[in-house]
Amino acid sequence: MAETRSSGYIGRAVPRLEDSRLLRGLGRYVDDLAAPPGTLHLAFLRSPHAHARIGSIRTAAAAAIPGVHVIATAADLAGLFTALRADYERPGFNRSEWYSIAVDRARYAGEIVAVAVADSPYVAEDVLELIEVEYAPLPAVVTVADAVKPGVASLHPNIGNVFFQGSFKSPGFDAAFAAAPVIVRETFTGSRIASAPMEPRGGLAVYDPGRDDLTYHATTQMPHIMRTAIAESFGWSESQIRIIAPDIGGGFGPKAYIYPEDILSIALARKLERPVKWFCDRMEDLQTTLQARDHRFDGELALDRQGIIQALRVRIEVNAGAYAGYPFGSSIEAAGGAVMMPGPYRLKYYAYEARSIATNVCPAGAYRGVSQPTAFFVMEGLLDRAAAKLGLDPAEIRLRNILHADEFPYTNAIGIRYDIGSYEECLKRALALGDYAGYRSRQTPTRFVEGKYRGVGIACFTEHTGQGASRYRDRGIRRMPGYDSAVVKVLPGGKAAAYVSQTEIGQGSITTCAQIVADRLGLDINDVTIVEGDTSLTPHGSGTGASRGAVAAGGAVLRAADKVREKMLRIAGDFLEASPKDIELNDGYAHVAGAPQLRVAIAEIAAVAHAAHDRPPPKGHGFGLEATDHYDPPHVYITNATHLAWVAVDPATGLVSVERYLVVHDCGRVINPLVVEGQIHGAVAQGLGQALMERIVHGADGQQQTVHFLDYLLPTALDLPPIEIAHLETPSPETAGGFKGVGEGGVIGALPALANAVADALKSFNANINRLPLAPDHVLDLIDQHRDRRVTAA
Amino acid sequence: MTTETTHVRLTVNGRVYERTVEPRLLLVDFLRHELGLTGTHVGCAHGVCGACTVIMNGETVRTCITFAVQAEGAQIKTVEGLAENGRLNPIQQAFHENHALQCGYCTPGFLMTVTEFLDENPDPSENEIRHALAGNLCRCTGYVNIVRAVRAAAEKMRSGAVQR
Repeated sequence: MAETRSSGYIGRAVPRLEDSRLLRGLGRYVDDLAAPPGTLHLAFLRSPHAHARIGSIRTAAAAAIPGVHVIATAADLAGLFTALRADYERPGFNRSEWYSIAVDRARYAGEIVAVAVADSPYVAEDVLELIEVEYAPLPAVVTVADAVKPGVASLHPNIGNVFFQGSFKSPGFDAAFAAAPVIVRETFTGSRIASAPMEPRGGLAVYDPGRDDLTYHATTQMPHIMRTAIAESFGWSESQIRIIAPDIGGGFGPKAYIYPEDILSIALARKLERPVKWFCDRMEDLQTTLQARDHRFDGELALDRQGIIQALRVRIEVNAGAYAGYPFGSSIEAAGGAVMMPGPYRLKYYAYEARSIATNVCPAGAYRGVSQPTAFFVMEGLLDRAAAKLGLDPAEIRLRNILHADEFPYTNAIGIRYDIGSYEECLKRALALGDYAGYRSRQTPTRFVEGKYRGVGIACFTEHTGQGASRYRDRGIRRMPGYDSAVVKVLPGGKAAAYVSQTEIGQGSITTCAQIVADRLGLDINDVTIVEGDTSLTPHGSGTGASRGAVAAGGAVLRAADKVREKMLRIAGDFLEASPKDIELNDGYAHVAGAPQLRVAIAEIAAVAHAAHDRPPPKGHGFGLEATDHYDPPHVYITNATHLAWVAVDPATGLVSVERYLVVHDCGRVINPLVVEGQIHGAVAQGLGQALMERIVHGADGQQQTVHFLDYLLPTALDLPPIEIAHLETPSPETAGGFKGVGEGGVIGALPALANAVADALKSFNANINRLPLAPDHVLDLIDQHRDRRVTAA
Repeated sequence: MTTETTHVRLTVNGRVYERTVEPRLLLVDFLRHELGLTGTHVGCAHGVCGACTVIMNGETVRTCITFAVQAEGAQIKTVEGLAENGRLNPIQQAFHENHALQCGYCTPGFLMTVTEFLDENPDPSENEIRHALAGNLCRCTGYVNIVRAVRAAAEKMRSGAVQR
């Protein structure tokens, strides 16, 4: 049977509409945009000290170089903009400010102290070395422990280096915890890492002095939030500001933030009345793009003797760096980890304490998965320890605790409702597809096979996706709207366009939104244009992040398209003398259900709607064929998955290689399996990077020592195994379209799956895997430290 | 801070260009900003990530660590020169069909690396493909679909070669 061209796009592996341009070198990333005549280029002089008083700044020698327009310091820019304040007054939050250029004091190495403005980027960068700054270094606090020592000076007024603290305890927690016969405890630490999108950050600010308006092309995931931040900072009207996110070379969270370079370039464009461009190099990007996962989690899991979870307590400390980033503020990692920690298991009693601490390192923030990868590194690590203590297989202890299909909707210990899912089924399917039992039966106590120690790790987890406004308000993150929006239009010629508040940063949202529109309007997908990433063309909304796209933006597109569809059916009903409810839209035609010969072209319907036809619009309807709608997901939607990882540890080199990787997951109704699989592949790779190799290293003085790709290692094609994926599909009964998100799960599962697999491989050493990355030096230490504890029996 | 300039003449995608440049101008900046061929991207500027890879005189080079003047007299092929009459070539087509790109920023570098690789090794094993790709970084795809695409392109190009 021939496939219909213009229905049933949702659920199909449609190759992406984004690809053709990008494959031909015709993508337009920020640095690719033709700079208007007269464009000036910026280079940023950054503090070499993690903490220092700034004395005099001598700029004359630099300013005298031909081609240099001006050297700007904080004094030159005073009064042009105000500091960004991400957090609101609210219990637990200590509000602080982030001013875009250091005034008197630099709080991390990399903070901007002066800006060179020149005719060419080469000259701007050249003259940085001619700017003389008097620094008086101050003691730098690099770790959380140092930052909260008595007597340590506060980095911001009146915060005592605590940006945020929060806590929670279930009623009855203490009694339940005290009564449990089995407790496992461990302290887990991540390493600070970088999101490292392949495209560094950049911007092109074009100011029109006559109109006093600004067009700012930026590497941003959230142009609408950026517009609000800029309007606020400059005391400007949002109507005068247009933010354009052209093609974006990866984001992963940190490109959702507003950066000092954004504010400074706009200030200079306005002050100098010239276009201004900047583009970070890799060193700047690794040093100053918001970092993540500098976490310490003290976890305690209480169980009964059958391995049934009784209670969970966690204390979370996040090294948040020098400033609270806009829009997500200081609580994002600490509170996020705490709230997302109760995972796919029956857990009645939960308690946490969480805080974010200010230090003299680069600010930290949201990176793919936020704190969930650490949270499940902890949870799944504790479960494996409990299983070992009780003599249970890691799979068995999970099967005893994981939620069953008949328990949904389930409200967890902290009040998050899980609408529906396939938690147990995912685990069972993964165990079957991975022949887990067979693998276990072949394992020897030493785990030593053909020169390497080999093991398997399991991770079950939940992923918070599609959070709406209510969730962000509850979390105290008021700079994030939480809803998204779409305008859907059928144009006079009968083709459609949708304008969506999110931004395409690689996730394939142009294709998935087009699939939704094509399905709802009965059009060929090639007759649908999707526009994103432009505040003047798209309606206000949140943007891209937090695995919200399919739910929030997809939901808005679906709802707006359905409004247009309704009017199309009315017009078609007039034509066909049939009730609108009996009409279907398909293949570019409206036809009576069951009678495909009774049809009218959608182009003709569009002509009626745009006064290009003899026939008037139906009674009660005016001209036009477009609709706007917004979608605020009522709650948060939980995607579930199980990952299995098989690793081999080379005792000679300490190198961990991943020999097989399996993902079984359920993200509700799938719009495009190709795109979903791509999201999982990439996220698993990022999780693998964090688990096995990535780490930002600081000296005791707060200097970042990993500033390029030779010492900040990203996974290559040789580090990744093929990743096997099985989809389970349980549509959400609550979200528009039944969609859930899937962007972050791969990272969340990869950390615990790989950590547990390495622990299993090194079981004979009784190695305690409680910190990352499991890089060769760390693995060799584990083997050497525990060689004497090695179990050689049986 | 020199203002000395020098003359450079080279062929890019079959077209001859002549420009006067500073000796320190990087080849990638020359391609992008002097010639407007912005498909070649800068990912790291220290020769590690491979995003800026082009083919110069038949071999891949990293244009972020090559000066424009070093390309004097060279024949260069960039990503803009891959499509034939506006149609994706078999490697590009395989990347599209196998969802081997997401943000697309690293993609031009991969395409150029794969172009050279399949020229030298038309029937590679998975392990050979992974080794060939190991000098190019991608942060989006986990390389899973890039490896698939290279295998698919190789098959297609081999069958095409047989038909011819």
